Amino acid sequence: MISQVFILSSKGDHLIYKDFRGEAGSDVVSIFYEMVTALTGDQPPVVMVTPCSHKDLHFVHVRQGGLYWVATTTADSSPFTVVEFLNRLTALVKDYCGTLSEKSVQMNFALIYELLDEVVDYGYVQTTSSDVLKNFIQTEAVSSRPFSLFDLSNVGLFGAETQQNKVAPSSASARPIQSSREQGGKSEIFVDVIERMSVVIGSNGVLMKADVQGEIRVKCYMPSCSEMRIGLNEEFSIGKSQLRGYGAAVRVDECSFHQAVRLDEFDSHRILRLCPSQGEQTVMQYQLSDNLPSAPPFRLFPTIERDNGGRLLMYMKLRCDLPPKTLSQELSSPDQSAELKPQSRAVVWEIPRFPGGTQLSALFKLDVPGLSSASMLEVGPVGLSFELPKITATGLQVRFLRLSPVQPGPSQRWVRYVTHSDSYTIRV
Amino acid sequence: MTDSKYFTTTKKGEIFELKAELNSDKKEKKKEAVKKVIASMTVGKDVSALFPDVVNCMQTDNLELKKLVYLYLMNYAKSQPDMAIMAVNTFVKDCEDPNPLIRALAVRTMGCIRVDKITEYLCEPLRKCLKDEDPYVRKTAAVCAAKLHDINAQLVEDQGFLDTLKDLISDSNPMVVANAVAALSEIAESHPNSNLLDLNPQTINKLLTALNECTEWGQIFILDCLANYTPRDDRESQSICERVTPRLSHANSAVVLSAVKVLMKFMEMLPKDLDYYGTLLKKLAPPLVTLLSAEPELQYVALRNINLIVQRRPEILKHEMKVFFVKYNDPIYVKLEKLDIMIRLASQANIAQVLAELKEYATEVDVDFVRKAVRAIGRCAIKVEQSAERCVSTLLDLIQTKVNYVVQEAIVVIKDIFRKYPNKYESVIATLCENLDSLDEPEARAAMIWIVGEYAERIDNADELLESFLEGFHDESTQVQLQLLTAIVKLFLKKPTETQELVQQVLSLATQDSDNPDLRDRGYIYWRLLSTDPVAAKEVVLAEKPLISEETDLIEPTLLEELICHIGTLASVYHKPPSAFVEGSRGVQHKRLPGSAGSGESESQDTGSAAGVTEAPPAVIPSQGDLLGDLLNLDLTPPTTTGPPPPSSGMQMGAMDLLGGGLDSLMGDESEPLGGDLGGSPAMGAGFSAPTAAMPASFNAPVSGGLDDLFDLGGGVGLPMGAYTPPKTIWLPAMKAKGLEISGTFVRRAGVIQMEMTLTNKAMSVMTDFAIQFNRNSFGLAPAGPLQVLTPLSPNQSIEVALPLSTVGPVMKMEPLNNLQVAVKNNIDVFYFSCQYPISMLFVEDGKMERQVFLATWKDIPNDNESQFQIKDCHLNSDAASNKLQGSNIFTIAKRTVEGQDMLYQSMKLTNSIWVLAELRVQAGNPNYTVCLKCRAAEVSQGVFQCYEAVLKN
Repeated sequence: MISQVFILSSKGDHLIYKDFRGEAGSDVVSIFYEMVTALTGDQPPVVMVTPCSHKDLHFVHVRQGGLYWVATTTADSSPFTVVEFLNRLTALVKDYCGTLSEKSVQMNFALIYELLDEVVDYGYVQTTSSDVLKNFIQTEAVSSRPFSLFDLSNVGLFGAETQQNKVAPSSASARPIQSSREQGGKSEIFVDVIERMSVVIGSNGVLMKADVQGEIRVKCYMPSCSEMRIGLNEEFSIGKSQLRGYGAAVRVDECSFHQAVRLDEFDSHRILRLCPSQGEQTVMQYQLSDNLPSAPPFRLFPTIERDNGGRLLMYMKLRCDLPPKTLSQELSSPDQSAELKPQSRAVVWEIPRFPGGTQLSALFKLDVPGLSSASMLEVGPVGLSFELPKITATGLQVRFLRLSPVQPGPSQRWVRYVTHSDSYTIRV
Repeated sequence: MTDSKYFTTTKKGEIFELKAELNSDKKEKKKEAVKKVIASMTVGKDVSALFPDVVNCMQTDNLELKKLVYLYLMNYAKSQPDMAIMAVNTFVKDCEDPNPLIRALAVRTMGCIRVDKITEYLCEPLRKCLKDEDPYVRKTAAVCAAKLHDINAQLVEDQGFLDTLKDLISDSNPMVVANAVAALSEIAESHPNSNLLDLNPQTINKLLTALNECTEWGQIFILDCLANYTPRDDRESQSICERVTPRLSHANSAVVLSAVKVLMKFMEMLPKDLDYYGTLLKKLAPPLVTLLSAEPELQYVALRNINLIVQRRPEILKHEMKVFFVKYNDPIYVKLEKLDIMIRLASQANIAQVLAELKEYATEVDVDFVRKAVRAIGRCAIKVEQSAERCVSTLLDLIQTKVNYVVQEAIVVIKDIFRKYPNKYESVIATLCENLDSLDEPEARAAMIWIVGEYAERIDNADELLESFLEGFHDESTQVQLQLLTAIVKLFLKKPTETQELVQQVLSLATQDSDNPDLRDRGYIYWRLLSTDPVAAKEVVLAEKPLISEETDLIEPTLLEELICHIGTLASVYHKPPSAFVEGSRGVQHKRLPGSAGSGESESQDTGSAAGVTEAPPAVIPSQGDLLGDLLNLDLTPPTTTGPPPPSSGMQMGAMDLLGGGLDSLMGDESEPLGGDLGGSPAMGAGFSAPTAAMPASFNAPVSGGLDDLFDLGGGVGLPMGAYTPPKTIWLPAMKAKGLEISGTFVRRAGVIQMEMTLTNKAMSVMTDFAIQFNRNSFGLAPAGPLQVLTPLSPNQSIEVALPLSTVGPVMKMEPLNNLQVAVKNNIDVFYFSCQYPISMLFVEDGKMERQVFLATWKDIPNDNESQFQIKDCHLNSDAASNKLQGSNIFTIAKRTVEGQDMLYQSMKLTNSIWVLAELRVQAGNPNYTVCLKCRAAEVSQGVFQCYEAVLKN
């Protein structure tokens, strides 16, 4: 049971405060802010207050859009519920107000109060589905800047089509869902396949661990969309034993679906059927541990030694093993940079672009006082963070995206793929 | 046009302006004004003065405006109860509105106005709304019933809303069902004994059906409610599990965790050999692994829960070690939790992998994490014997890095490894000694000193090393000082010739120059030991140490069971029972796991069916909380750290010089760890000074040679205990008490404990003015009246006295448990002695447990608390034994015969309501009996066993 919900700016200003159960006063808001700002990095996020007003009050918070989204509870309720709820709330506010920021929350406080009223009753979460909520919500969203699909950056000289216009404009998904009704804006739907990779490669180059966590996210700006069908790779299989045929099967270990997804065609044809509600939702989440279908995208060949002058020499050769693209524009050496961060005892090597099938190398020379052979043990590991557009590590693809009935008027459907590094570690 | 301007107007006369705007005719203007009011309210300004004006805006058909006004009302009605009445009419009217949104809005808002006066007006609208045709209104009304209950519980009961709510459980709309369940669960928590949520197979079936259809949040309410149900048998529990399992693949982690909670609980009832049990175990792993891909906050919460699950059922995740490997970008609190789980899952099969990981972690940057990783390596060595060698060499590698904090941690854990595997890895000592100078943390210094002292004979320059520490003796922390003292004494006992000076130096530092009573006491004890009998000292100080155990940081089993019932809640994150942090009645009931129906091989046939096994017996057995409380009292009440316990405050006997004259006679009960060994836990949380009760048994024997006078007092008393009434023994010899000799015994007659004594005057003069006092003791024994010695005791005269005892005196845990320290006064002096009473004296007459309760309790007590004893040379048959034991209030509850072996199930209850359960096995023709004892307070087992032996052999 949630006792109160409040939203604070990063400076501690009260933006929204709603009390559901009358169990504690509004003074706890400032108590929370004091606590959260005093928090050191190693303290877990479920924080507890010393007894105030005769009861122990537990704060659970998430940080989104530079704001603190906080819920309090006095009972032994589930922190999972509260965190999930807060995440949904931020998603809802983002859907309704377009963006998440101090300004948008401040401008739409009446709308957010109304949302909170419908979403939570007496501390019990009622619904967080924008489909249900649209029946109840009366207040109109106020948008800070009028939304324009034609962001200048996406249009080439003299309006000519550039290569980029095959990619949905990045700002396209940052607008309130409701506005599409009135503005008669384009009805659009985005299907994003997002994967995060965690990889550990041992010092001998052996792949020790590789995990992929993926999700399919649908962002819908259709005023009415009765059904959408997402077809995945037909060879898609779930579980460790289930491998069909000889082809390059796409396999995941475990899959979970949004409860609105109907799976009657999933077993036979790998089709997800759903009626997307307006706004953003995660339709499917999946994960794969070890046994990646392809080799990890990056390999590193480090040489670390001590030179006569007591300096530490680190020679790094980094290879990108992605299939090379013939159309790559990157011919000259990229403008890389490297920096020594003494505080975290790390060298940061930034590579803006790294085409597939190429190799980069770098030599770092460090003056380390009192360098001994034992301290060579302390070097490493190397952590990589990157983003790979248009690639999924599992090989998952969206075969087709069908809407039925066919939408009247122009409608756009976008499918985007991206793989992020979650924790990509190479030991040396 | 934006709303942000509402936040910026802070002029004077603002209230006045708002008032005008609120009373404007234009709807738009009114709405703007109410928005401004709410904006001010949010930032904490007091706008209650506008109450009447805002309420006036309530009568509108504009839903947006109405919502805004209601928002205001909810906030200020409490501070203006009289004004709030003004709004009631509109509420009542709105509850009849044709628009269901308005009906629901009205009933929701009314419930939030926590004003007593309004509640009576609320009843009629609520009754209608609970039966409204629109499900949206019904589900809102269901929650409103819970709100009303919180304000006025009696009213809700009188109006029959509870029955209506129960009916809603069968509603056709799943959302209504979910809210009704949530409301009833909340109401039921404030009435623990009411049968509000009458869970039976029919309602469970309805809930399971609704589960498939309602929203994710509704699923959580329903699953949490299901978790409180106890299935009748394993088949029902299996069918519920089957229907809950699909929830494991839900995207909402709260749903998943609630489902895991239900499954973990109901699994207890499934027989382990069932195929389905194995299937279920396999199904539990993937969703738990999935939780680890969430954001760090959720990961942390998930890891805390997994930590519990792994302790209860390690088999679920035993193949998933890799997912707990630490990512470099995990926050530190996630890293530490993962490390903890890695060690719990470590086994021979995966230890190589784990060690390789830990070694990597030990070279990371984050100091806290590195420390914990190094400790983890040590814990692996202790847990998995096969890996010990590799762990030690890994630790040595780490020591080579010379990173200060790594070296220190490594030394602390190597000391534990030495304790666990004596005489195996001492070859590394030389390497450790090289790092002596770099140690600056007390724990590491103490560990190193312990190593030097323990292995002094192998270290050539041990005396120099220890001497170097001695220079700054007074600047060291207590644990280092204590350790240094013990180490030097050890060194002296091993190499007496060259270290005499050193030991004298440390003894005088400890006893004369220190203000720390622990240190002084230990110093004095060593001093006396060494000066009276060095041989005995050697046997004491260099005695064989008990091996340390593998897992010391496990959560106590009963707490673990309770926490498993709270998976997914705050309790599972804090690893504390909810009663520890939730006030009031809510959530304080202790939850228990149901007993397993399939695994009870021996008992289940006695009871016929498993039904009723799980009916917890709170009426008979003190609830866990109470019992823990009792035990804590035993441990915590007295100041145990310094010397002998002081006399209880009620003593009237003038000046008692316990510390002086009394010290000698009481020292046998001293429970300080004189051996000076480390606490001996791999976790090493407990420092050196923590009093452990481990040593006295081995201490008594060797010491008595050197310290005769300490033990001849109590020495003869303890063991030979008569059957029902042990024969009298001499407690206080005449030569110790200026001619007064006391012998005595303990008797239980008709429920009264009596101390029967014979006082004999062997002196030349008359003795008068007798009085008696007890020191605090384990079971609170105290004289129930004064000592009845009415006539003066002339020389060579004896007198028999019977002193009735009560068990309501002050409590302090004694060692041994049944030790009693007594002070007797007469006109000559005060005398002290200690004696031991048979525990059987404390067995009360109503110690016969119900069969069912016995069965449940037996299962409920963790196996760790079970102890087994042999009684040799007893030639009774089982019936005779049973009768004999019954005379001492040890009751036989059931008897079974399996292959010529009689099994007697027996129970007894102590005066402080501790139950002891026993299984006595008697084999025909075999004079050796086996007794199995189970008790929540395992300490009493030894004493109970002695009673068995004494009763059966006499």
